[in-house]
Amino acid sequence: MAIAGLTIIGETINDSVPSTKALFDAGDVEELLELARFQDQRGAGYIDVNIGSRPPELMAELVAKIQGATSKPLSIDTPDPDIARAGLEAYDPARAGGQAPILNSVSALRADMLELYRIQPFKPILLVSEQVVDGQSRPCHTAAETYDATRSLVAAFREQCAGATNDDCILDPGIAPIGSDTEGNLHRLITAMETIRADADLAGVHASVGLSNFTVMLPPKRADGSPLKSALESAFLTRAMPLGLDMIVGSVKRKYQLLEPDHPAMVCLEECLKASGFDVLMRVREFYS
Amino acid sequence: MSDPSELYEAILHGDARKAEAVTKAALEAKVDPSELLQKQMIPAMDEVGKRFECNEYFVPELLIAARAMKTSLELITPLLAEAGAEPAGRVVIGTVQGDLHDIGKNLVASMLEGGGFQVVDLGVDVSPEKFIEAAKQKEGTILALSALLTTTMTMMKAVIEALEKEGIRDKAKVIIGGAPITQQYADEIGADGYSDNASAAVALARKLAG
Repeated sequence: MAIAGLTIIGETINDSVPSTKALFDAGDVEELLELARFQDQRGAGYIDVNIGSRPPELMAELVAKIQGATSKPLSIDTPDPDIARAGLEAYDPARAGGQAPILNSVSALRADMLELYRIQPFKPILLVSEQVVDGQSRPCHTAAETYDATRSLVAAFREQCAGATNDDCILDPGIAPIGSDTEGNLHRLITAMETIRADADLAGVHASVGLSNFTVMLPPKRADGSPLKSALESAFLTRAMPLGLDMIVGSVKRKYQLLEPDHPAMVCLEECLKASGFDVLMRVREFYS
Repeated sequence: MSDPSELYEAILHGDARKAEAVTKAALEAKVDPSELLQKQMIPAMDEVGKRFECNEYFVPELLIAARAMKTSLELITPLLAEAGAEPAGRVVIGTVQGDLHDIGKNLVASMLEGGGFQVVDLGVDVSPEKFIEAAKQKEGTILALSALLTTTMTMMKAVIEALEKEGIRDKAKVIIGGAPITQQYADEIGADGYSDNASAAVALARKLAG
């Protein structure tokens, strides 16, 4: 279900989804194209394409074939520069109404992937949930670290990619499962988004999260039989969209909606934001028990 | 004085405060710590695992129960060590090089601790060399490797190859897990075991340690 102002990057063509992996293993390209068509028809703004660690040639082949099946722009999803290059070279903006592809994703340690912009201008998803410490990639544990990572990666993108603007940037501040969030990740994420929102130099940037990740490892329904995951994910969207979240890598099947402040999922989310440590888990458990 | 069997219930329901209080009371009453562990605590975590596997418990319940278990373990571990009691085994756990995901790894570590294992957590982005170094410290160590990405799971094979190169492949067991991992992959790379969830990982480790 569509929410105005929210673009869904359809997540199903991904080698880590077991049913899709089976299609990759079987070489069933036609069914992969069907996944693209289905997500297109159900309102995806972009179609994500993740082939795992398969050969770059497969990414090139799939990009060309998926572009024959949908006019939606694609999200080339890989940390591997060779696979990214193959996907970007194969991508034809003209087949997507002139729209650039997304490159999902670029992290500080993989910033050299920005050089691929020369062969095909793209909108990078900048992984600002990671930072480089002593030459090693490490997760950001605080909002301040996330903000610093944002400034640094956005600056690198604007400097290295001629003509690139904030409007071409998509930040991924990293969302963690609420069912195991004993380290205040939700609080870090929301606070980081508030800080980024207040920085005039970052005006116009977009933000995206892998929303399904928020509710993994939780039961599908509450004790009263009502859906759990779509409610909590909707609560997150309601909280984060005013802070600049305007994209998600997610499911076109999920019924997202903006919630009223007194909706039980919204109340739960707000209380989780105020809680810390295991109290967050206790509050989530109370919501579904 | 509290009834030691209340410890079983406290852990099963994730009540850390009660677990601590009952443990303290039992120890003051001179209850054998080893008996507390074997008759109350480990059976409680086994029941948590069973409930998890039949979708009666989910990850929050697992983590809350593991915390209660840990609270009691911290009280009895020094006494067990004094008495010369051995842990169920030694597990060195970590997310492989290039991968920063730690949720599944932390969950497995908590459950293994709850299962009576000594757990050495090397964190995330762990190089094969670090795993080897940790394995060398004690023969019979179980290396538990986690990966969430198809692009990093290949590092599991690198760890096994490094063990072979060092000539200590037969001195350690290797178990693997994570979203893209399958039993087939474990067989392909010569791992000793695979588990698709934290509860089953404990059973697997017990089998290999036994």
